[in-house]
Amino acid sequence: MRRLLAILASVITIGVGLVTIYDLTVGTGELAAALLRLVVATLALMIVAGVINLLIVHIGRMRYLKRGWVYSLVLLVSAFATVGFWLAGQSEMNDLLLNSVQVPVESALAGLLFFALVYGAYRLLHRRFTWTGLLFIIILLVMLVGALPLEQFGLARQVREWLLSVPVSAGARGILFGIALATIVTGVRVLIGQDRSYRE
Amino acid sequence: MNLDQIGLWAGVVFTLMIFSYLLGDNFLYRLAVYIFAGVAAGFVFIVALQNAILPWLRLTILAPNLGIGERAFGVTPIILGALLLLKISPRFGRLGNLALAFIIGVGTAVAVVGAVSGTLIPLADATADTITEDTLSSVIVLIGVIATLVYFMYVARRIPGQLATTGRRGLLVQVISVVGKGFIVVTLSALYAGALLSSLTIFSERVAALIARITGG
Repeated sequence: MRRLLAILASVITIGVGLVTIYDLTVGTGELAAALLRLVVATLALMIVAGVINLLIVHIGRMRYLKRGWVYSLVLLVSAFATVGFWLAGQSEMNDLLLNSVQVPVESALAGLLFFALVYGAYRLLHRRFTWTGLLFIIILLVMLVGALPLEQFGLARQVREWLLSVPVSAGARGILFGIALATIVTGVRVLIGQDRSYRE
Repeated sequence: MNLDQIGLWAGVVFTLMIFSYLLGDNFLYRLAVYIFAGVAAGFVFIVALQNAILPWLRLTILAPNLGIGERAFGVTPIILGALLLLKISPRFGRLGNLALAFIIGVGTAVAVVGAVSGTLIPLADATADTITEDTLSSVIVLIGVIATLVYFMYVARRIPGQLATTGRRGLLVQVISVVGKGFIVVTLSALYAGALLSSLTIFSERVAALIARITGG
């Protein structure tokens, strides 16, 4: 039975994958779109299941008064309030939650990232000396100084423009090429049955 | 104080609670993060239900005058979802692999076609276009792209008398990969600078909003 299920899983992956590729490249694309809609609906159901699981975990933490149960209570109240307002049709309350909780917290967290990045660069300076570390710091300084809107840093701005349009563009393209090639190789390995990790 | 003003002040309080992390991990920061997680979970639930599941049900299972085939198609995600949920069971977990296989099959096909038509061909076109523009810059771009790709090449010559897992890159490949490493460092450094500037902009915008709210500006 175990072996049969494993073979069936491989047959489904390869069959569905090849049909989708054929339809996307040679066919009309309608079948691929229908299959994608199926996947999207399934993933949406899984997201809902994931949220329910999160709530169950925090209800369990609260029920047994585990460490940090106050945080779980706060999370549950905020989640139920959000869904409750939606169910009650009070969209203005949801807008209020979005604008007064989601947006400020997200942007404040993004603002905190600045300190983490500065600290990361500082740590890099304290590590042992390498030519890549030195190059990284020099380019970083040029990019930052070049971004300043001051007359005195005109040369830095020109160097920054050149860096962005030539070496950075080349490096980014190389990395993107690498990602695309790796995606294709991994995809083909799955589609020819070489990679069968989904059967585990 | 109306609802909008309450919202604005709540935004100020939440911003201060998050910024309190600069003094170290503390109760206020955690409280704000948990409220954020709860509200985010609620919104994710609403969006999944409102934008994906309910329209799907209305178009398939709940739609009038549909054949048995269309209704069966509508039930399929529920069956796939149920199979995926079985993965938490040690006994029936392997049945969940069938649903996973379906999702991976479609996802892989879309990723492969997307990588070829959305990245590989447009990037090759864009790189070819730069070659005709400026000679020196285009040569540097070409060298950079090739050297970066060579840096990620993990093909090595086997060393005689050693294990099959050990090997050495050819001299030419080593030299080119050093150049590629340089291009990658320059790219990552530029991206780092971009991230620094973006986060600084967001940080200063938040601080300005705080000051404006507190001083009534």
